[in-house]
Amino acid sequence: MARVKNWQINREMDYPYNESRPKKQWSIIFDLNKCIACQTCSLACKTTWTSGKGQEYMFWNNVETKPYGSYPLAWDVKILEQLGQQAWKAKEPYYGKTIFEAAKPTEVVAHFHPKDEDWMYPNVGEDDCAGNVPHGDHITLPHDKWFFYLPRTCAHCTYPACLASCPRKAIYKREEDGIVLIDQSRCKGYGECVRACPYKKSMYNTHTRVSEKCIGCFPAVEQGLQPMCVQNCIGKIRIMGFVNPPWKMRKNNPIDYLIHDQQIALPYYPQLGLEPNIYYIPPIHADRAYLTQMFGPNVDQAIERYKKLKDDPVTQGLLVLMGSTDRIMHSFDVKDGIAYGFDEKGDEVVRVPVTEPFIERTAYDANLKSLRNNTP
Amino acid sequence: MSEEKKGHISRRSFVKALTASGGLLAASSWANAVPLRFFNPQNIENPLAQYPDRDWEKIYRNIFAHDSSFVFLCAPNDTHNCLLKAYVKNGVVTRIGPSYGYGKATDLYGNQSSHRWDPRICQKGLALVRRFYGDRRVKAPMIRRGFKEWADAGFPRDPVTGSPDAKYFQRGKDKWLRADWQQAYDYSAKAFENIARHYSGDQGEHYLHKQGYDPAMIEALEKSGTQTIKLRGGMAFLGATRIFGLYRFANMLALMDSKIRNVDSTKAVGARGWDSYSWHTDLPPGHPMVTGSQTNDFDLFAAERSKLLLVWGMNWITTKMPDSHWMTEARLKGTKTVAITVEYSATASKADDVVVIRPGTDPAFALGLAQQIISKKIYDKEFVETKTDLPFLVRLDTLKPLRPEEFMAEFKEPDLQSMKFLKKGEKPLPGTEQRDQFAAESMKDDFKSLVVFDRKTKKLRAVSRDEYGTHFKGVEPDLGYRGSVKLLDGKTVKVRSIFNLTEEYLNENMTPEKVELITGAPAKAIVSLAKEIAANKEHTLFACGMGPNQFFNADLKDRAIFLVAALTRNVGFPGGNVGSYAGNYRAALIGGEPVYAAEDPFNPQLSKGGKVKVGKYSHYESLHYYNYGDRPLRVGDKLFTGSGHMPVPTKAMWLNNSNSVIGNVKWHYDVVHNTLPKIEFIAYSDWWWTGSCEYADIVFACDSWAEFKHPDMCGSCTNPFLQLYPETPMPRVFDTKADIEIIAGVSKSLAKVTGESRMTDMWKFVYENNTHEYLQRIIDASFTLKGYNIHDLEKKAKEGIPALMNNRTYPRVSSYEQAKSEMPWHTKSGRLEFYRHEPEFIEHGENMVIYREPVDSTPYEPNVIVAQGHEAIRPKAPKDYGLSDSDTSVETRQVRNVVKTAEELVQSKHPLKMKLYTHVYHTPKYRHGAHTTPVDTDMNAVWFGPFGDVYRHDKRMPAVVEGYVDINPLDAKAMGIEDGDYVYIDADPSDRPYRNWKKGTEEYKISRLMLRARYYPGTPRGIARTWHNMYGATFGSVKGQETRPDGLAKSAETNYQAMYRSGSHQSATRAWLRPTLMTETLVHKTMFGQGLEKGFASDIHCPVGAPREAFVKITKAEGGGLGGQGRWRPASLGFRPTYENQAMKEYLKGRFMKGKG
Repeated sequence: MARVKNWQINREMDYPYNESRPKKQWSIIFDLNKCIACQTCSLACKTTWTSGKGQEYMFWNNVETKPYGSYPLAWDVKILEQLGQQAWKAKEPYYGKTIFEAAKPTEVVAHFHPKDEDWMYPNVGEDDCAGNVPHGDHITLPHDKWFFYLPRTCAHCTYPACLASCPRKAIYKREEDGIVLIDQSRCKGYGECVRACPYKKSMYNTHTRVSEKCIGCFPAVEQGLQPMCVQNCIGKIRIMGFVNPPWKMRKNNPIDYLIHDQQIALPYYPQLGLEPNIYYIPPIHADRAYLTQMFGPNVDQAIERYKKLKDDPVTQGLLVLMGSTDRIMHSFDVKDGIAYGFDEKGDEVVRVPVTEPFIERTAYDANLKSLRNNTP
Repeated sequence: MSEEKKGHISRRSFVKALTASGGLLAASSWANAVPLRFFNPQNIENPLAQYPDRDWEKIYRNIFAHDSSFVFLCAPNDTHNCLLKAYVKNGVVTRIGPSYGYGKATDLYGNQSSHRWDPRICQKGLALVRRFYGDRRVKAPMIRRGFKEWADAGFPRDPVTGSPDAKYFQRGKDKWLRADWQQAYDYSAKAFENIARHYSGDQGEHYLHKQGYDPAMIEALEKSGTQTIKLRGGMAFLGATRIFGLYRFANMLALMDSKIRNVDSTKAVGARGWDSYSWHTDLPPGHPMVTGSQTNDFDLFAAERSKLLLVWGMNWITTKMPDSHWMTEARLKGTKTVAITVEYSATASKADDVVVIRPGTDPAFALGLAQQIISKKIYDKEFVETKTDLPFLVRLDTLKPLRPEEFMAEFKEPDLQSMKFLKKGEKPLPGTEQRDQFAAESMKDDFKSLVVFDRKTKKLRAVSRDEYGTHFKGVEPDLGYRGSVKLLDGKTVKVRSIFNLTEEYLNENMTPEKVELITGAPAKAIVSLAKEIAANKEHTLFACGMGPNQFFNADLKDRAIFLVAALTRNVGFPGGNVGSYAGNYRAALIGGEPVYAAEDPFNPQLSKGGKVKVGKYSHYESLHYYNYGDRPLRVGDKLFTGSGHMPVPTKAMWLNNSNSVIGNVKWHYDVVHNTLPKIEFIAYSDWWWTGSCEYADIVFACDSWAEFKHPDMCGSCTNPFLQLYPETPMPRVFDTKADIEIIAGVSKSLAKVTGESRMTDMWKFVYENNTHEYLQRIIDASFTLKGYNIHDLEKKAKEGIPALMNNRTYPRVSSYEQAKSEMPWHTKSGRLEFYRHEPEFIEHGENMVIYREPVDSTPYEPNVIVAQGHEAIRPKAPKDYGLSDSDTSVETRQVRNVVKTAEELVQSKHPLKMKLYTHVYHTPKYRHGAHTTPVDTDMNAVWFGPFGDVYRHDKRMPAVVEGYVDINPLDAKAMGIEDGDYVYIDADPSDRPYRNWKKGTEEYKISRLMLRARYYPGTPRGIARTWHNMYGATFGSVKGQETRPDGLAKSAETNYQAMYRSGSHQSATRAWLRPTLMTETLVHKTMFGQGLEKGFASDIHCPVGAPREAFVKITKAEGGGLGGQGRWRPASLGFRPTYENQAMKEYLKGRFMKGKG
């Protein structure tokens, strides 16, 4: 085992390979306050990548309702059970065990292996809330009955468990963008990655007899385009870009800004130790203890900051810029109520007003001889 | 890293071991059968850092690559419409994506939308890639065997009744034959002509009497059999030419009537047009009662202009998906969001505050808010005094308004400036130039002056319709006035202001405590919300949804919500307004539509750019009478359907773009078993084989949106875009045609059958492949579009860019001109009206805004008026109609005016409560379907709820997904129902699932609702819910499930795929007709333009139904485990509500991470 730096848990940890960070790291941020569970992302991914034989059950991208939803069934309950109860104080390192550290001596990671049937109801728990609503009610923040939607792709982790566990070393991380791929020509379908990935984002294809997973839409990313699940996100909750570790953070990088500068976007289940590269702006209405379990102890601070966004025009600008372009934004700026996004070369790819203008047209256009009224 | 520690024998160490142990020989013989690369291991030190051979990655690049792309418009009836990009490889559409062109839309004045509008798409649009080539495409024109035999036999009929033999009409069970196009056209034309001829004249009347139709319906026919033909373009706004084409066709059939009855154009009538928006229960029927116009609303992106956003009975994030971000972004920018809902809904999870009320009690909740606002005097005095009728005085003897002429000698009505009166025969200005409101001179009395008590002069004062808003000057009306007036006839009568009458009703009946009793919402929620609304004048948006609109008291809900909004100055402002969001209806935005839909068929314009003569020959009627059994509302000794509303018997029907009228019709199984057998010809145009096609006689195969060869256009009531359906380069996959070509084809055959060539002329530009001509004519006549060129619009659409509608404002805000005092509302008084003095309203105790219980969805006595004795609430009692006081059966319930206090109400019981009926059952819409599109497409279907399983492990499943009912776990447990069990749902046995059902029959077997039960902790006890969007069981689907080896509920004959084993969500409700929606007296705006009219108007003032009204019994049918054994798996494993295992319990409480430092 090597000792590697995992900034999300703020300490070094054991990992089978030496730390090696790619030149750029693919990353998506999801604003869970905006996710509407429409599954457009799931279908965008499905229709592009997994419509073939052996892939019927497969959703590289899925959205599940928390806390009762899960795909595969109870994946997170089961991995949390493996670690048992842990503790983590805000601003401090996580001193509990990661799945690499909690592994049995004969294993790479602490894991569980989902049964075939666990994949069969991708939307089990849809809109099921925690807490019963037996009669009329008045619910205020934070909601005492609640659910929220959790969209999930592969996290293209800095320390992937799939990669660590592959006996053929057929899983690798691309140095140019940090995307983690299963080599479809070398994989033999042993299923070790399916067992090892705690997020259960490696899936076995019974037709090709090899495992496969989200490829970060690298063919789009290579063209400067955001992945299909991001391009199609009508909740406009997603932004894909490249995340730097905190010591290299660049404030005008939209990803770094939300993760490192504003600290309103948090990794999910960081305690597992994979340094996952999908980040979530936590939902402000849900149960804090549950959110802490999922996003770590800094969740309170992130929520309090989100609730004060009405006084923060820059973050507002970035959040309405999300989804306004299919291009990857490497930097952004907000000036005078307009938010701008720029590509890698610094060229503007999109600009949007933080609030749409109110336009009043003439009541009667004498040139065209036409009314322009509102109540026809 | 050490391999040993890793615990696996890696390929490298395995090979090493083989070599070391001298196993080379064995290994090499094995190698003969295995690719050599297994023995040529890669040296990968650290796969985080490097990987040797990445050439294989090209397989994904190849999958992603495409040869070409094109844009098409996806426009189911979802109120959005999205230009989508299809990616083509090897001639096949392989995937679909957004156009990212919505940020490039412009108007005629250089304004542009922003890219915040992008992307516009959804999962349903993406699933179309499986649908264009799907096995349920209508692949060619199809004709039902029995129908063909009837036609081939020369349409034989019984000499006594005039009805055809039932042997020809085994719809749903019959065989289908593939027809060629000419055959399909000819059979249709012959059937239309034969039916029209058969039911014309005295002979027609005679047969219809024999067949048992209501005499009033036969009388309304006026001996024109052509009127027994009904046409309906499904949500016509979605297709200015192809869907409105069926209304043009209806109007054109006046030519046939003229031939058959040998009458000239002054006497000829067309076929009837069925309504659309009101039929879908989308029309908020109280809007015309308050504002005079069809619907008040605002583009949803106005959300960010509000400070308080009330999302009321609207599951915004599931039904307005591409516009959800306007809500969530407004919230992050500081708008407070409040969900008023009947459960902890998807939208509740995006709201700051959530108020959960009992379904259908929305009017009471709103009145509770109004009570607080008035009693705490936090209303906006100026708005109330100048923009509402609340200051006006009402006579308590007649309950009519006090008129100046009644007590002021020599009072003379002023000549109104706020509207013009047209003399008989005088034509209004074209729609683009109607700057003034107008009405027929015969309606002049409706707009007479009213009276207020002026506190300044201490005198009564006349107020004319011109004195609205800032034009109402120098008066201080006494809002609380009550007194008496000596009339010119010597009588002294008591008068009170509408405000004063309303205040008394509210204080006596709608205090927070009483409203809590009725609605279940905690009193404190009412108190605090009222305060917040009043504190946000001009900045509270009421976004109201379909939920409360689908109850019998929907109009009262509208009137009550408007009352709250008007009291707090929240009508007509960009950040403060009322909107209703159900359906896509605002055809009026394409105001020039009549030049196409109602072009005079006797004088069709055949020259390009020529002036069109409009001549309306067809009458419209509400489709609700059809699904009410083709009957008007006749109860006791009274006919409650007004003569202007009166339907005629339905003998033939043709619909396009709509599964709603048969497949997903309210009271579906009653329509199928009791009404369709009376109809002699049913044609459907569709591109997907729906439940409606199952029961048709001819199904025309249409192009899918991706195959359009004739452009069309449409708009939306929720966004500012004009959307073009561009012509696409995609070759037709099957033997299909454009909707408009099909209409033109049938017309041409009719021209032959009738010898009337103008029926061909009417579609000249279709045959010439120049539908653009019709579109340009409509554009030139539309106040929002005049100035656009159809070719420019289509070119942009091909690039994925829509155009902006040129309304007064962006966002479009209804009542904007009225709030600015530029124009009065389209009402009698010119103001927002909260008192309805027409006789129908007084008769039913609804002259004031009051609360009525739901008509079926209640544990209490249905349809009760909640009031303490109030001197202005004096409805007719059941005995006045010859009905018994205790008769609460469903038919009489609709006209039953019984008054109870709130306390008495909650002590009363639904008549079925004693018979173990326990649950209010409602059927809202959800995210996985736009109506039924495309819920049966596998990739989309598996997401629809918790039971989706693409491999159908449980072979009882009708499809890869299935319908379910959500029940509070506490209720389910008490009833012995486990999570995932199959259950039966039965509503009122007197008429559901259909009238005269019989156990043991095939009809009953397919009609009784059976579905899965799901434990759903977010729905209150006593309330059960099934989503509206799934395909119901048919004869074919049930037979399929019984006979197919795979057990799918899929018809072997048609491929129709049901998502229920039996019945559907429409098994439990019925058709409901409401007397106050069938008046002859309500004044309102016309559909197009600024005209004012009275009584029936399709989609404005007519019945709307009440499909969320059902009170049901739920009984266990089968266990939920695989094949019926044991519990449903997720429950048995402990991951479902109330079944939680220990780990799940810890997980729910967040106990796997102790986080507080």
